[in-house]
Amino acid sequence: MSASTSTTHASLNKEKHVRYWLRCLKTYLPSVYISNEAQRMSLGFFILSALDLLGALHTRITASERTEYADWILRCQHPDGGFRGFTGTMTGEENTNEWDVANLAATYFACAALVVLGEGMDRVKRKECLEWVKSLQRANGSFGEGIGKGGVVEGAEDMRFCYLATVTRWFLRRGEDMDEVEDINVEGLVEWIKASVTYEGGIAQAPLHEAHAGFTYNGVGALMLLGMLPRHTDKSKNEGTMSAEFVENVTKWLVSRQTLMLHEGDELPMVDDEPPDMTPKFFPRTFHVQGAFPVSVTDAILQNASVEISTHDLQWAGFNGRCNKVADTCYAFWVGGTLGMLKREHIQDFNAIRYYLLDKTQHMIGGFGKLPGDGPGPFSSMAIEL
Amino acid sequence: MGKYSDSDEWEDIVPIPQDDGGLNPLAAIAYTEEYSEAMSYLRAAMAEDEKSDRALGLTEDIIRMNPAHYTVWLYRADMLFTLQKDLLQELEWLNAISLKHIKNFQIWHHRQVVMSHIPALPPTEIAFLARMLAKDAKNYHVWSYRQWFVRHFSLWDSELPYVETLLQSDVRNNSAWNHRWFIVFARYTDPKQHSIKKGDADSEIPLEIMRREIEYTKAAISTAPQNQSPWNYLRGVLKIKGMGLVELKDFAEQYADLEKEDEVRSSHALDFLADVYAEEEHKERSAKALELLARRYDPIRKNYWDYRRSLLGLELVGA
Repeated sequence: MSASTSTTHASLNKEKHVRYWLRCLKTYLPSVYISNEAQRMSLGFFILSALDLLGALHTRITASERTEYADWILRCQHPDGGFRGFTGTMTGEENTNEWDVANLAATYFACAALVVLGEGMDRVKRKECLEWVKSLQRANGSFGEGIGKGGVVEGAEDMRFCYLATVTRWFLRRGEDMDEVEDINVEGLVEWIKASVTYEGGIAQAPLHEAHAGFTYNGVGALMLLGMLPRHTDKSKNEGTMSAEFVENVTKWLVSRQTLMLHEGDELPMVDDEPPDMTPKFFPRTFHVQGAFPVSVTDAILQNASVEISTHDLQWAGFNGRCNKVADTCYAFWVGGTLGMLKREHIQDFNAIRYYLLDKTQHMIGGFGKLPGDGPGPFSSMAIEL
Repeated sequence: MGKYSDSDEWEDIVPIPQDDGGLNPLAAIAYTEEYSEAMSYLRAAMAEDEKSDRALGLTEDIIRMNPAHYTVWLYRADMLFTLQKDLLQELEWLNAISLKHIKNFQIWHHRQVVMSHIPALPPTEIAFLARMLAKDAKNYHVWSYRQWFVRHFSLWDSELPYVETLLQSDVRNNSAWNHRWFIVFARYTDPKQHSIKKGDADSEIPLEIMRREIEYTKAAISTAPQNQSPWNYLRGVLKIKGMGLVELKDFAEQYADLEKEDEVRSSHALDFLADVYAEEEHKERSAKALELLARRYDPIRKNYWDYRRSLLGLELVGA
């Protein structure tokens, strides 16, 4: 569509991204990351995995350094199975107090990081970990994130935990010696995920909540690893999997996330805010934006043929996470990744999202920001290096 | 030299410093001295499972610096209940933190845990939630909590007018549309099964409610036809009702008449009609609606509309 335009697009500044991630790995993250301390394991995984994807983990880091990073991860392993997200709750080498507990997200990221490091699962207490994961499942099929006092399952009912439990099981439940470990209730989990599919076609944090791209990734990802996606071209082999209707509806919901609305200013302010600025920069001159986000209720219709979408504007299209929201870097991963799991990635406008990321959110010092003009951060950047 | 080491209140405690292991820890953070010290005292208090006012104050201090610390919240909740603290006061303290850290899972989960120990609806709660939504009307955590809260205190009847005021101020607020769905239909769901109760949906959900929802949504579309939220809602209602989209064909054609290609007012109406025509076996008309979307009214999703057209099983026309 936009082949005729002459804009030159940015490319991935690979060396700058490598240096950004090496800085994250080898120096202290700044003090503002104190509020992320409990997620150190996930930050650690993002850093290692980004370097791996950029081809630098085995060239710019020595083997002994890689072993030491693995040692730190294993230091966080809980004696009763699972991993902590950081060392901050540990009060001694041997004894663990009852507030020093394993956390599901940390466990998933620890396993994933050990794989990336080439360490594998040899030093993981696989049996204990699988039993601990099973203990996190509730009667309704959903998972919590940890075990609190008196064996209570802690944490909200949350699609993220279902995904994390499913992947951890996939990492660890391998080989004959694991068959003796009692499995999670797969059927109950699938039912709970089905109940979280909303009337819009996407998946929510929990039943009846709003469809959201992150939770849709989690739900579809869990279904994929449980063998519940109908991925065979031979339809008779898809028996017992999710319906074709589910796949069509979620596909439509996912492609609907692609949007030209790239800035907060493209959204209409709430009534209590300042009146909207009516200048063209506020409402880019494309009918998509003008039509979808009307200046006033009476204008709220698509403009007629006099305003065509310009091929210029169509070059950059990000993804949002929910209906009628602004685009955000991270959803390129959540939406694109989910379409990939459904083997439908060709249905998105790949160039438009690529140029959105490279031209609009890539940062001059390396890394990617959340929104155009934002500084870089490991969360957004990792989503994109993937 | 620090807030805790200098304090008489804590002099009986031997702080436990963090041991981060060898030379290459992952994602090491440049801690401030203030945070390091507070965490060392927290470790000491947690190791003894101390339950006291000073330990409560310490958790407050840590949460101020690191509200995503998952175990400090559990420790705090346990102390609140054991020491039988004033839970309304806890909510008030939480209000300030919630307004500061808008996107934090733990704060809202803690609120739910605390609220489930309070027997009657605190009078300030509704006003506080309104304040949160005034800051961000689409805050996912607030809406998730609100669903739990409505069900817990059975607030179904007062909630619908509130959602309508939100939709009046922003008819594109998809979170508010989803909440409307919850208010209208969750009453008919079994919270244990999470699905519409077994049996004929028509017999469970009164017909006048279905009609009301359809009319409300049609009115919302008429004020802003190019707004996907109510179109999705409408499809959802028709599906629960077991009705085909055909029922609303005339309504959708007001916004997209295939005979007047230049006057299409809503891409979502075109999409709706593409399905209606396919339901009616008018494949050529359906294909025309999808072509208009791909070529002219929603080219960002050209690949998708072409895919949908391919499902009709028609010969490809030359572009």
